[in-house]
Amino acid sequence: MTQIALSNLGKKFGSFTALAQMNLTIGDGEFVALLGPSGCGKSTTMNMIAGMVDPTEGDIRFDDRSILDVPMSRRGVGFVFQNYAIFTHMSVRENLAYGLRAQGVSASERNRRVNAMADLLQLSPMLDRRAAGLSVNILQRLAIGRSAVVEPAIFLLDEPLSNVDAAFRSVMRSELKALQRQFSQTLVYVTHDQLEAMTMADRIAVMDHGKLLQVGTPLEIYNNPQDVFVARFIGSPGMNILEGTIASSDEGKLVDLASTGRSAPLALSDRAASQGLPEKVLFGFRPEQVNPDPNGTMALPVNFVERIGARTILHLGGDGIEAKAVLDNQIAMPSIGDILRFSIDPKMVRLFDPVSGIAIGGDI
Amino acid sequence: MNGVSVKKADIAVLPQDNAGSEEKRLGFWLTLPAQCLVLFIAVFPILMQLYISMTDWSPLDGIPWYRAYELWIGFINYTDLASDSRFWAAMWRTFLVMIVCVPIQFLLGLGLAVLFVDEFPGKRWFYSTLLIPMMVVPAVAGYMFFLLFQSGGPVNDLLSLFSASPVKIAWLSDPSLALVAVMAADIWQWTPLMFLILLAGMISVPQDQQMAAVLLGASWGRRFFTIVLPRMKTIIIIALAIRTIEIFKIFDTLYIMTGGGPGVATETISVYIYKVTQQDLIWGYVAAIALAILIVLSVISAIAISKMSKGANAR
Amino acid sequence: MASIRLENICKHYGDVVALDDVSIEVEDNAFFCLFGPPLSGKSTILKIILGLETPDSGSVFIDDRPMNGVSPAQRNVAMVFQNLALFPHMTALQNVRFPLVERKIAEDVIAARVDAVTKKLHMQHILHKPPSQLSGGERQRVAIARALVRDPVAYLMDDPISALDARLREETRVELRRIQREMNQTVIYVTHDQEEAMSVSDQMAIFEHGRVRQVGAPHDLYDAPASTYVAEMLGAPAINLMAAGGTALNAGRPVPQQAVQLGVRPEHLRVLKDGGNTQVSAIEPMGATTILTLKAGAETMKAALHGQPEFQVGESVSLSVDPAQIHFFDKNGDTLVAV
Repeated sequence: MTQIALSNLGKKFGSFTALAQMNLTIGDGEFVALLGPSGCGKSTTMNMIAGMVDPTEGDIRFDDRSILDVPMSRRGVGFVFQNYAIFTHMSVRENLAYGLRAQGVSASERNRRVNAMADLLQLSPMLDRRAAGLSVNILQRLAIGRSAVVEPAIFLLDEPLSNVDAAFRSVMRSELKALQRQFSQTLVYVTHDQLEAMTMADRIAVMDHGKLLQVGTPLEIYNNPQDVFVARFIGSPGMNILEGTIASSDEGKLVDLASTGRSAPLALSDRAASQGLPEKVLFGFRPEQVNPDPNGTMALPVNFVERIGARTILHLGGDGIEAKAVLDNQIAMPSIGDILRFSIDPKMVRLFDPVSGIAIGGDI
Repeated sequence: MNGVSVKKADIAVLPQDNAGSEEKRLGFWLTLPAQCLVLFIAVFPILMQLYISMTDWSPLDGIPWYRAYELWIGFINYTDLASDSRFWAAMWRTFLVMIVCVPIQFLLGLGLAVLFVDEFPGKRWFYSTLLIPMMVVPAVAGYMFFLLFQSGGPVNDLLSLFSASPVKIAWLSDPSLALVAVMAADIWQWTPLMFLILLAGMISVPQDQQMAAVLLGASWGRRFFTIVLPRMKTIIIIALAIRTIEIFKIFDTLYIMTGGGPGVATETISVYIYKVTQQDLIWGYVAAIALAILIVLSVISAIAISKMSKGANAR
Repeated sequence: MASIRLENICKHYGDVVALDDVSIEVEDNAFFCLFGPPLSGKSTILKIILGLETPDSGSVFIDDRPMNGVSPAQRNVAMVFQNLALFPHMTALQNVRFPLVERKIAEDVIAARVDAVTKKLHMQHILHKPPSQLSGGERQRVAIARALVRDPVAYLMDDPISALDARLREETRVELRRIQREMNQTVIYVTHDQEEAMSVSDQMAIFEHGRVRQVGAPHDLYDAPASTYVAEMLGAPAINLMAAGGTALNAGRPVPQQAVQLGVRPEHLRVLKDGGNTQVSAIEPMGATTILTLKAGAETMKAALHGQPEFQVGESVSLSVDPAQIHFFDKNGDTLVAV
C-alpha cells in the first residue's frame, strides 16, 4: 500500500549512463510496466527501487519517505526474479515461510499465514513437496506467494514471462493479472514485450537509452505516442514512419511522400496549426489504419504477405521505404508484387519532427 | 549471454543412452574388449595384493611373485594385523591427524572463501599468495617446517617475543608435540586446496536466490546458513572426502620432519607401511595392510558418494 | 534442394512412445513447420531426418531415395540450433567460412560462396565482428549464413529465434522466410509459437503425443480445424468452445445431432450493446483490437473486436455470429462436417 516516487533518478557505471533524469510517480495499488528494449535502463531502475543498486543521482521515496538509506532487507519490497529464484533445496512450505521466519514471526502465526497464502494460490496440495521440478506456472505462483506472505509495500517483477514457452505466455499473463487484482498491490513490472505491457499494465513507462520517453495508459501510448521510438515500439507491428515534406493544396496542408504519393489533407489540431509545421516531417500511421482504396492517394508495392490466423500483415515498400499493413482476412488479399493503393484517415495520422523525433503538436 | 553455452537443446541432438535396444547390444559387444582391458588395469593390482597378502612372500625369498602360492599361509597375515599394536597405534595417529586437520582446514577454507567471494582491493594479489603453499613440493614443505620447528627456530623465536623468558620448546623431539608440528604443516599446505574448492562452490550458488533471501528480510547469517551452505552441500562433501582420504597418504612432509619419530610418536599409517616394506621386507604382510586401508577408504568414499547423490537429487 | 518424405515412422524409448505412425511429405523448396507442445515428438523427427536416430519402423526418403543406413554426413542436411552454436573466438566471417574450410575446398570457391551468401543476407558490414559484439538478430544471420554456405539439401531449424526479443522475433521470422524463398531452400522448422508457425510456413503439421493430428497450409488449419485440439492450438486468444445446445449463442443454423461442442473464433463474435443475457467481465484494450471477456451463464468467452470500442465491465450485451463461422465437434472432439 505504497506510493513510489522517483525523482531525477540517475545511474552511471563509470562513464556509461544507464539511467538519467528519471521522474515517475507510481500510485498506490497501481500496476506500472517499465517497457523498453534491452539496455534501456528499465532493470537498473527496478534494481535501484529494490536496493540492489545504489543510484548516483536523485531520490527514491516510498510514501514521501526517502528510502535510499534503508538497506534492501528492510525496504519491504517483494521481488519476483526472471527465473523466480525459488529455493529448490526446500519444500514449498519452507519457501513460503522463509520471509516470515527471517522476520521472526511466531510459529503459530507463521503457519496460519503460510496456509492462508497456499489456499489463495492453490498451492495447498503441494505444500510439503520439494520445490524442485515444479511446473513453471506453479513456480510463478510460488514466487509471488513467497513475496506476498510478508505483505510487502510493493511488488517488483523482472521479466517473469521471458523464459516461458510462447504457447503458455497468455495463460501466465492472465494468471498474473488476476493475482495482482487479488492483492491490489502497487506493482512495477519490467518487460521488453509490448504485448505484456499493453495487456496487463494500468500505465506504461516506455524507456530507451536510459531515458523515460513517455508515461501513460496503454491506449494513450498507443493512440498518441509522444516520440517516434514509442510509436514504433508499441503495437504489433509498430507504427509505420515515412519521411515526407509538407506541401500545400487547395484543401489545406498535406504531406508529400515522394514515390509513395501524397497524404490526404491533414486534420491539424489547433496547437499544431498555431505552432507551424517544419518543412520536413516524419509521417506516422498504424498498420491497421491502412485502408485499401482504389482511389487512395498513396501506393506501395507488396513485397511479402504474412497471414497469421485472423489477420494478414502486408509488408510494403522497397528502395529504403518500409511500411506494413494489417488487414482482415475477409477482404480480397493482394499478392507479392502487386501495388497496394491505400488511404489513411487524416485523424489517424501522427507527425513527428525528423530531428528530435518528438510528436508535432501533441494530438493532431 | 552470447549464445555459446551448451544447452540441453544441443546435447539432446546427439544419440545418447536412448538408442534402440538393438544398437545398445551391438555397442556392448563392440566395446567389450576395451572394457575388459580397463577393468583389468583397474583391478589387477588389487587382485595381486589380495593374492600376495595370503602368502608369506618376500622379494628376498628368490621365487617370482606369481609362485608365491608356495608360501601360502591363508589369513595369518590378517590375524596378525588384528593383534599388531604398532599398526593400530599408527591407525589411531592417522585418525587423530584427520579429526584435527580436516575440520580446521574446512573452517579456515570456508572463512577465506566467505572473504574472497566478495570484491575487495588487492583481491587478486591475496588470492595468488594464498595458493602458494599448495604448490610447494611436499618434500620441500617438510624441510621448511623442519627448520621452522627447530628448538632455535623461528617458531620458538616468535613465541619468545610474547613471553617473558626465551622459549626453547623441542617441538620435533618431544613425542607429544611432534604430531602438533606435523599437523601444523599439513594445515598450512592444504588449507588453500580446501579454500579453492569451497570458493568455487560458493561462487556457483545462484546470486538471485541469495538476493531473494535478503529481499525477504534475511540477515547475513540466515542467508549463509539457509541458502549458501545447503546449496554447497555436494561440493563440501567432495572437499571433505578428498582431504580425509589424503590424510591417509601423508608421507613426504612428515618423513622429512620427523621420520615418524621420535620413536613412533608420529608414525602414521603410510609411514608405517613404508617402514615395514623397506626395512622389514615382509611384503605379504604389507599387502594385507594395504588392503585393510583400501577397505577403510572405500567405506569413506561410499558414504561420501551416497550423501552426494542425495544432495544432487535435491537440486 | 530436395523433397523429404517420412513414411509410417514409429519410435519408442522404452515404454514411451515418441512417434506413432508419423507420415509427412515435405515438398521441394517448402517451408514446413512442426508445431506442438513440448515433448510431442517434434525434435525426435528432426533427429530421425538428420540420421542421428533410427526409427523402430518406417522410412525416411530424401528426393525419393530411402535413407536407411545412410550416415548423417552423407545425407547432407544442415541443422540450425536454438542457441545458434556460434564459435565465440572467431569473427562472423570465420564462422561463416568454417564449414567450407573444414572440407578443404579451394580458397577462390570459398570466397565466392561466402560472398554470395553474405550479400544476400545483407550482413557484409558485420563480418569482421566476433559474435559477442553482434545483436541477437545479427548472430541469427551469421548462424544461417554458416548453414547456407554448405549448400545442403535441406535445413532443419529447432526453435531458432525463441531467444530473441519479441519485436526482433517478428522481424526475423519474415527475414527467414524471405531468405528461404529467395534461395529456394527446403526448410523444416520447429517452433512453440503459433503466430510464428502460421507466419512462416507453407505447410504445417500439428503434433500431439507423437502423432500428427493434422497437416495443411496454416490458413486451412486455422479456418477448418479437424478437431478441437487443432482449433485450440492456433489463434490468440484461443477459439471459444462451448457446449452445444447452450443458450449463450444462437447458432443460426441447425446444430448437427452428434455435436457436443461448438467453437467460434473470438474475432467472429459480434457484440451488440442491447442489454442481452451476456455480461462483459473484463476488457483488454490493445490499441488495434480490444479483447472482451464475456460471461453467459456457465460459459466464458472471449471476443476480439476491431479498434477501441467503448464497453464497461458489467455491461449487458448480446452476441451474434455468422452461422458459417461456427465449428461443430462431436464427442471425440472431431470436427463434424456441416450437413
